Amino acid sequence: MPKVFNWQLNREMDYPYPSALPSRQFSAVFDLNKCIACQTCTFACKNSWTVGRGQEYMFWNNVETKPYGGYPIAWDARLLEMLGPQTWEGGTYTGKTIFEGAPPGRAAVGFLPEELDWAHPNIGEDETSGLAERGMHLTIPHDIWNFYLPRICNHCSYPACLASCPRKAIYKRPEDGIVLLDQKRCRGYRECVRACPYKKVMYNGVTRISEKCIACFPLIEQGRQTQCIINCIGKIRMAGWIHQPQQVDPESPLDFMVHVRKVALPLYPQFGLMMNVYYIPPVHVPLPYLQQMFGPGVEKAQNVYRQVKDDEQLLGVFLLMGATDRWIEKFKVGGGWAYGYDIKGSEIVRVPLKESTVVRPFFDAARNVYRHNIT
Amino acid sequence: MAPWKWHHLLLAAALAVVLATTLSLRGLAFAQTQPQLVSAYLASGLPTADPTAAAWGRANPVEVPLTAQNIVLPMLGTGSIPTIQVRSLNDGAWIAFRLEWADATKNDKAIAQDQFRDAAAIQLPLNQTVPGVCMGVRGQPVNLWHWKADWQNDIDNGFQDLFAAYPNFWKDYYPFAVGTPPFKAPVDFAGPDARRFLVGWAVGNPLSDPARVTPVEELVAEGFGSATHRVQQTVLGRGVWAAGKWSVVFARPLRTSEQTQAQLAPGGKGIIAVAAWDGANMEVGARKQVSADLALTIAGPTGAPQAAAEAPAQGANYWWLAIPVGLAALVIGSGLAGMLMTIYYRSRPRP
Repeated sequence: MPKVFNWQLNREMDYPYPSALPSRQFSAVFDLNKCIACQTCTFACKNSWTVGRGQEYMFWNNVETKPYGGYPIAWDARLLEMLGPQTWEGGTYTGKTIFEGAPPGRAAVGFLPEELDWAHPNIGEDETSGLAERGMHLTIPHDIWNFYLPRICNHCSYPACLASCPRKAIYKRPEDGIVLLDQKRCRGYRECVRACPYKKVMYNGVTRISEKCIACFPLIEQGRQTQCIINCIGKIRMAGWIHQPQQVDPESPLDFMVHVRKVALPLYPQFGLMMNVYYIPPVHVPLPYLQQMFGPGVEKAQNVYRQVKDDEQLLGVFLLMGATDRWIEKFKVGGGWAYGYDIKGSEIVRVPLKESTVVRPFFDAARNVYRHNIT
Repeated sequence: MAPWKWHHLLLAAALAVVLATTLSLRGLAFAQTQPQLVSAYLASGLPTADPTAAAWGRANPVEVPLTAQNIVLPMLGTGSIPTIQVRSLNDGAWIAFRLEWADATKNDKAIAQDQFRDAAAIQLPLNQTVPGVCMGVRGQPVNLWHWKADWQNDIDNGFQDLFAAYPNFWKDYYPFAVGTPPFKAPVDFAGPDARRFLVGWAVGNPLSDPARVTPVEELVAEGFGSATHRVQQTVLGRGVWAAGKWSVVFARPLRTSEQTQAQLAPGGKGIIAVAAWDGANMEVGARKQVSADLALTIAGPTGAPQAAAEAPAQGANYWWLAIPVGLAALVIGSGLAGMLMTIYYRSRPRP
């Protein structure tokens, strides 16, 4: 089996195909500190792409409550259990990826969810990690906690769906790294559904073939961000290009968050897919849980996040999240403003690092009225 | 020279006759290392779409062992269909095959996420003189006739829409659908705008086409993962599940004008292999059970196979008895001749 380098594991790993990284890679950052599980992303996606017959149960974008939520049920807990010990030494993963741990006759460790596993997209919603007991008080991290985990396809650099498809019906676009499932070539075997650890390939019982998140490629091709991102009312998301660590462009907002500040981390990097959706870990959740989910970089990421008020560059990127539906190629921060630029270098958005405060008099003599709110 | 042990020969011959008679009465020829399948000639009434037709009694059944596909990923591991019974008939213009295998569960839907269909297939190397490699290899394509239980269900009972899995299913609205909630596929989604939301159908994936005309999909393959739907679909078929058994008929003209179809000839020879999938065991795609090649002889209107075709009773193929009986006669004859020669040589005057 060929060896490929996975920087998220800081080592080479087995993968059924040689490395063929795209010239640029679709990527997204989700700030979990800001997600409120309003599901606006879910419905922006649903109304765009999965409103058809046979797609009723599909949520290419879903938001689940951790620790108990999961769509399909326990998608991650079941795989973590199957995968065995997942150990890190320093920044290097010393356990097995889903490819390295594959049982005989399989491309990857995985399972096919049962019908009813898909029937409860909101299971565990708003549940906390435990019960509040007497004497508890607010601490960081919280004694009892939960957080919301919005999920789309990770458009992985080493996709398990692609690796497991005996038809080669799944391909990764060289121009933007988006992973697509050829609707003409698929024969509905569901090997991809078994193999994708994130369970983001879904079977359509009416067309009897499988479907998956397409990263809104028709929008990206027009220089726009995806539906789930531009409709996020909490402005927790941003799409952009990500590069390999040796080719980092510090002016790319995604490279800056992931590679420069290392504030955004991959979801379950130990699965070994070198996934391209990154998460800013929540600061109120205990480390062991987050480290299992986001790898060894969590503590550092939390510290960077806590210091953002003193980090003008990072603050600027955060403020550009959700500020435009256009695709931000590069950003710049200076003079109290953050600027976003398109592929031609034209400014497409600017946001102040600090909103200016306007104070108006309590009594407006011209209108002969008192104001309730003067700032 | 040791004396002829003629009584041993007679015993062996008698055993051969008993064994052959037993097998013939059971109507089975157990396929061993080189399974042989004879397509019996039937002058008229070829059952191209009826696996229950009495005419199938005129075809000699061959019980073919199946083995789990454990060559390429994903492998099956352990299969649940140990053998499959194969028969063939032809009328000089068309050839029909009948597969029968035991399957306790009828899996004729593929609607829910974890629901898989039962299926069976016949493989014919395009070049019928070269042994077929499973799914073919580059430069040596094979034809595949793939019968699907859910397609059969679609044809027998109308397209198996979501209601087949979820009788109380309801949805208020689909973009561009006509009709009334909860709508019916495919009729309410036939317009080009509504169809766009059934993507597989819109782009012409044969798996997604709800308007099926045959339960058998005809494909060409040049290796694993390369099976390609033929533009011209010429194979007829029908499958019936009863009493824990599937029986499926496949039929096609012996000769066609297509270059990508295996050509067969009356009185000629050919090679086929078969495969089966048990949906209850989540068998799909490469997770299947396959047979070795069967040597196919297509009987014409004359010759021994024709006699078989004219044999009356179902399952009793008396022509087949001719081989063991002939062999036994040969052995007995040789034994007697040897015995007489021994007597002669012993009795003649010595020099």
